[in-house]
Amino acid sequence: MDVTPRYLGAGSFLARRDPRVLLLVPVLYFVAVANVADLRGMLVCAAIALVYYRAAGIPWRGVRANWVFMLTFTTLLVVVNSVFTAADTRVGAGEALFAVPLTGTEVTWATLSYASTLLIRYASLAMVSFPVAFAIAPSDLGVALARLRLSQRLAYGVDLTFRFLPSTVAALRETIDAQRVRGYEHSRSRNPFRKLASLKPVVVPVTVNALIDAEDTANAMDLRGFGAKHRTWMRELAFGRTDYLVMGGFLALAAVMTAAKFFGPFGEVWAP
Amino acid sequence: MSTEALSPRHSPWTIDSRTVVFGAVGAALYAVLGLFSFLIPGTQSVTVRPAVALVPFFGKRFGVITGFFVGFVGNVVIDLIQGAGLIWWNWSVANGLVGAFAALIFTVIPPISSEALRHVVTALGALIATALGLLFIITDLWVLGIDFNTFLFLNYLPALLANGIAVVILVPALDAAWEPLAKRAGL
Repeated sequence: MDVTPRYLGAGSFLARRDPRVLLLVPVLYFVAVANVADLRGMLVCAAIALVYYRAAGIPWRGVRANWVFMLTFTTLLVVVNSVFTAADTRVGAGEALFAVPLTGTEVTWATLSYASTLLIRYASLAMVSFPVAFAIAPSDLGVALARLRLSQRLAYGVDLTFRFLPSTVAALRETIDAQRVRGYEHSRSRNPFRKLASLKPVVVPVTVNALIDAEDTANAMDLRGFGAKHRTWMRELAFGRTDYLVMGGFLALAAVMTAAKFFGPFGEVWAP
Repeated sequence: MSTEALSPRHSPWTIDSRTVVFGAVGAALYAVLGLFSFLIPGTQSVTVRPAVALVPFFGKRFGVITGFFVGFVGNVVIDLIQGAGLIWWNWSVANGLVGAFAALIFTVIPPISSEALRHVVTALGALIATALGLLFIITDLWVLGIDFNTFLFLNYLPALLANGIAVVILVPALDAAWEPLAKRAGL
């Protein structure tokens, strides 16, 4: 079981940026694409997101499964909600192209345009979000959050979480093996209650043992005066000119798209 | 015996070394155990993730900040491991709020001497915290542009059903196992 984050974009243009840029760009992009209903506006944003994603240098082989899962899930979500049913759809003024059997939902060009807009929105959000997962060194996350004015202690907590992952996996494996020696077998029942109850012999000891060990770690940190003074970090972060340019570009995109949604055409569904 | 979640010396809002370490341990546990899930038979997409029970448990035992940290950071780490990045950030906040609400609920519940009743109250409190915290995914209305019916019937209720089953069964079990150790350690 591999639970450590994969630093697939190491050495790429985005990996060389200040990690705060990679954390802030998705926020600005969310602002830019939220409630965009016009397919043309969404395509412009998606093109920018694609350029950004390519700059992360994430090898396709490493994330193929992630993309397949992500696109399958969002396509199902959009087709079911926006085409097959009227849960989240736009009919528009156009003539109905056809009606969906069983549900009877009338599909127009506006319906298809809006569904495409949603699908592209999800895919482009993934494009700006994947670099957070694959182009930030896990050891940089704590310091990046600290420099984003998150509490120093909580930022250290994020750092600590990543350090605990390998030992937690090892403890889980050890506990499962130990319980198997005692005759434990995971329930094959289809009853979710029984299935959950059968997990108790694994979840409870793993959690309790981790908490007992945590007490030692907390005592060690107390003895070293954790939290007594402002914490410093080995890794120095500083925005460079390129970082400002990338941030400025996405800030401008968010401002232009927000204005276009309120005063321009991008707040309405576009039907060809 | 009592349902008292936090020792008198700890405020639920304190951020000290214990808050940080227990939060980090909880988030790591949530991230590792959170990779296991199973589908409820007869449904299309309702999966039960047993690890969600850790969030209200940590909230109850270690306070608001730890509870929020475990739910939020644990969920973000799962998304990072699975490669989703920050797309579902509001679901991570919702998970964090489950832990925070659990801490607040159990802070105001008075001590209960009966063990059986305490388990029932623990399960109910965790369930209420889950129901309240998950309400944050209503932000999908603005983030993803879905309508209210989609939020309610496709997002909120299935998530509440799946998480509710897990917290009702596992939180009392975790709490019962931790109670004597916490007393011995003076936590």
